[in-house]
Amino acid sequence: MRALRAWLEDRFGLRPAMAFIAKKEVPCHKHAFLYYTGSSILLFLGIQIVTGVLLALYYRPTLAEANPSVVRIITEMPLGWLVRSVHSWSATFMILTVFVHMLGIAFTKSYRKPREATWLTGFLLLVASLAFGFTGYLLPWDELSLAATKVGTNIPKSLPLIGVWLTKVLRAGEDVTGDTLSRFFIVHVCVLPLALLAIVGIHVFLVQRHGMSVPLEAERDKRQVPALPFWPNFVFREAGVWLVLLGVLLTIAVFAAPGLGPQADLMAPAPEGVKPEWYFLFLFQTLKLFPARILGLNGELVAVLIMMVGMALLLLVPFIDNRPFERKGKVVTALAWAGLAYAVGMSIWSLL
Amino acid sequence: MKLPASLYTRRAFLNGLLGGWLAALGTAFISPLLKYIVPPTREPDQVTVPLADYKDLVPHTVKGFAWGNKPGFIKRTEAGEFVALVGVCTHLDCNVTFVPDKRRFYCACHEGWFDEDGLNIAGPPPAPLRRLAVAVEGETLIVKRQG
Repeated sequence: MRALRAWLEDRFGLRPAMAFIAKKEVPCHKHAFLYYTGSSILLFLGIQIVTGVLLALYYRPTLAEANPSVVRIITEMPLGWLVRSVHSWSATFMILTVFVHMLGIAFTKSYRKPREATWLTGFLLLVASLAFGFTGYLLPWDELSLAATKVGTNIPKSLPLIGVWLTKVLRAGEDVTGDTLSRFFIVHVCVLPLALLAIVGIHVFLVQRHGMSVPLEAERDKRQVPALPFWPNFVFREAGVWLVLLGVLLTIAVFAAPGLGPQADLMAPAPEGVKPEWYFLFLFQTLKLFPARILGLNGELVAVLIMMVGMALLLLVPFIDNRPFERKGKVVTALAWAGLAYAVGMSIWSLL
Repeated sequence: MKLPASLYTRRAFLNGLLGGWLAALGTAFISPLLKYIVPPTREPDQVTVPLADYKDLVPHTVKGFAWGNKPGFIKRTEAGEFVALVGVCTHLDCNVTFVPDKRRFYCACHEGWFDEDGLNIAGPPPAPLRRLAVAVEGETLIVKRQG
């Protein structure tokens, strides 16, 4: 055993990494539960990869076969309905945890120097996660997913200069067709996973490099925060959290498996009750409320520009609020609450 | 090595040259890539349908036809002329449906309404439904892009 370990050490030289993990500590304080959100996202990501590969074994990304192949997965394949249900619910859980993770960091101001790059890569991960959700929604190729994709891919069209081109890139042409389906499939199962895993690597590396952030008050008073060894104490607690989440996920997946609508027909009128995934509902409701013209401008363009400004502000938060204990931090907290209230309010409104 | 009057060392110059060359090479590959990912548009120049299917249309009703990948509607005015509309909402591209008892087109995505001539009358749609030119030639109807 010792000889094997020495052999591996000579080849891989992993001793510094092992020493780092053995020495790593996780602070304990009232916001410490936020530390679990990151690893929970990784748990759901892992479930997505495993169930995604399983679904891809039988799924066929073509106009004629996409919907029937999903029917086959959920009716004929042993436990296929459960695999699809877990994939769908785990996506919801992952996005939800991503939001909690992000809001937690916004409230505790953990994005400040030197963690700006961690926030930026986190923003990219948010975008990638939402893109996963958006592309995955089309793949069952039912009436609702077709209509939602038409609306979603049409949104950039109103942008000046690149808008029309961007919509064509997303759709593989003027309209949503079988080419769109192929495109969304390969982006969903190849492009996004590669991109996401690479960014996750950088993100997690940066978290290790800077260490866990501690509450602002402790940082200001140069007070030592009590800490827990990462290995094995924190990992043991994390394992408990993972088990609970896994149990909740499986229970919900068993009792609330997602349905499947009739196969999409490019010629059919849009069905009643078109809705995107829940995390796009507030954008959907915003678009619905915007009038056709505002002050002589295209209302849709105004809505899209407002969304883009919102995204840009979110991206640049660490550079806008860069000094500790100034009013800007309170403004960010207020904006985070306002954004949360707006998103929740609009989502509920769209369901009424 | 740095010559007395030089701003750069030889290494910095070579790094810049090689790096710049690689960047230029990379950039050169982007344009064909961008071209490839947008396929040529496939909207038809014209579509022909048999006149027999549409000649008994009464005013205030419509009948569908396929305008390429999009649904289209043909109707007849009181004067007997044919009018064709593309059945795609001008708001966010959802397919519309004709509601006969209201004599209106309806888009379910964001509750947009168009009157029977395709004019946007309620909800978010910013423009009327697209019109197509219709010509009768013998026993066929020819639907063409306008203009």
